Amino acid sequence: MTSTFRFLEDIALADSAFEARGDTPSELFTAAAQAVIETMVDPQTVAPTLTKSITRHDRSLEELLFDWLADIVYLKDAEGLVFRDADCSVTNDRTSGEWHLQGTLTGEPIDPARHDLRADVKAITKHRYEVRQGDSGWIATVVMDI
Amino acid sequence: MQLHTQMAVNRISDQIWEIPVTEKPGMLVPARIYATEKILTSMDSGVFEQVTNVACLPGIRRYALCMPDGHWGYGFPIGGVAAFDRETGVISPGGVGYDINCGMRLIRTDLTLADVAPRLERLMTELFRRVPAGVGSKGFVRADRREFDEVMRKGARWCIERGYGWRHDLERIEEHGCIPGADPSKVSDYAVERGINQLGTLGSGNHYLEVQVAADDRIFDKPTAAALGITGRDQIMVMVHCGSRGFGHQVASDYLKVFEKAMRRYGIAVKDQQLACAPFRSPEGQDYFAAMNCAANSAFANRQVITHQIREAFSAVFDQPAESLGMDIVYDVAHNIAKIERYTEGELVVHRKGSTRAFGPGRPELPEIYRHTGQPVICGGSMETGSYVLVGTDQAMQDTFGSTMHGSGRTMSRAQAKRSIRGEQLQKQMAQRGIIVKAVSMSGLAEEAGFAYKNISDVVETVDTAGITKKVAELRPIGNIKG
Repeated sequence: MTSTFRFLEDIALADSAFEARGDTPSELFTAAAQAVIETMVDPQTVAPTLTKSITRHDRSLEELLFDWLADIVYLKDAEGLVFRDADCSVTNDRTSGEWHLQGTLTGEPIDPARHDLRADVKAITKHRYEVRQGDSGWIATVVMDI
Repeated sequence: MQLHTQMAVNRISDQIWEIPVTEKPGMLVPARIYATEKILTSMDSGVFEQVTNVACLPGIRRYALCMPDGHWGYGFPIGGVAAFDRETGVISPGGVGYDINCGMRLIRTDLTLADVAPRLERLMTELFRRVPAGVGSKGFVRADRREFDEVMRKGARWCIERGYGWRHDLERIEEHGCIPGADPSKVSDYAVERGINQLGTLGSGNHYLEVQVAADDRIFDKPTAAALGITGRDQIMVMVHCGSRGFGHQVASDYLKVFEKAMRRYGIAVKDQQLACAPFRSPEGQDYFAAMNCAANSAFANRQVITHQIREAFSAVFDQPAESLGMDIVYDVAHNIAKIERYTEGELVVHRKGSTRAFGPGRPELPEIYRHTGQPVICGGSMETGSYVLVGTDQAMQDTFGSTMHGSGRTMSRAQAKRSIRGEQLQKQMAQRGIIVKAVSMSGLAEEAGFAYKNISDVVETVDTAGITKKVAELRPIGNIKG
């Protein structure tokens, strides 16, 4: 299994960008979520005290990933949560053509005294946003507004 | 002159450069960049690409403009100004930015550096405690959905009604802190949920609260400074930079999606997905404008609650009511917004993204106290250097749709800044120079190091020499709070 990400420097001077990779869409989505999580907090400082389950479906894999990452930003503001880990399963329904996501985010309420907080992500953006299947698996490029 | 573009960039004056419509297919008007030769050569390729993309949008009038603090942004460049015909033109969330009504507020005091220096550490601790900052921070104001709808409609006025401020604060805020036409029914629940607990919070990134000094030798126009309440003699000032927080970010995100689909319906093709737009007169355009005004008003309310907390902190530390410390607002002005304004072309939808309104003397929109000086313009520099107060001019009304710069503009990536210095190291260095920094995130602090930004003085000199704003005073930081 390969599920990795790396931050990119040349795309967004004032903001933050990353490239995520996975052998499968599930691995890609997990890696991309981890990149968003780690932009906001050092996950090693977050305890796995609660789990949020997220279910989404969309005909577009690009839109599904976009909304899944936006959910992490939403939960940070609306419920005051930061996360340690993400896990998800992304499957394609061959009959309807829809992509289905069943994801979990594990973390806890924000506590500045214990958490090594980083940047407050304002939004996932469509700038140079891309999800593609290459020879070596699935790749996504994502720019976040900071 | 080596520029980061292959396009022809013609010199109009020492501070104005023009890219003609022949340089890119689809350009409807020329693009104009305000910059000295030194600043122009340092501008990234995104500025040239994006300002010419903006020049292709339907209904644009006169020029697509970029200010000297311009750099790459989403869709529009930061520092971008564009005016569209109200009847035939478009409105674009990319021309406003994700942080709707991100803006600056400046508060004066009667205190001097000599009064504050012995208690500065305590003051910064008190401010840091009372003004939450950083990832996901929550404010002390509790509002239910019905009350938050009132925040959207009334902006800063809602705060005054709740006791978070003084009645005469309102005249010192752009639009009296309340833009008409806000309609909470055009805002998603998702957006409200992101912002309802964040009134009175700074956020992170380049947002800050700063305690500053106005020294005599850094006041450039004493009569105007005096009219603004800036008396010099090492006077203590407080500057706030923040916006509409998660609420505004979500309004922008929501409508970018709406506009992506609307563009297909209206047959609008854009050169960048982040330039998504819709006719201003379309249902989508009107809905976004109504929702954007909700977010803009919430940002005025946010800065008003922060002002209340600042006054409380000063009052606690100096054991006097804020009124007797002379803590009046100098001005509050947005630098991420779209507004309807009248120019020689008629009523236009003026987009300012990382650009400040700079109305000249005599404009009826200005409060009586500033009608003869021109509108105060507040420009924040990096936390290590300084910030400026300027005033709007007639020249800005004629040349730039009453607009000017907003800050210094980034030149280094966040990652590179973090590699260059650690937050703890920067905090120590700044303390040695007499600037106390309280930060939630040390990595976030490193990202905002002074060397990651242009020299704000170069940017200010450009707009001053070009005549679109006149500098009044430079303010030096002595304390900074960051997310």
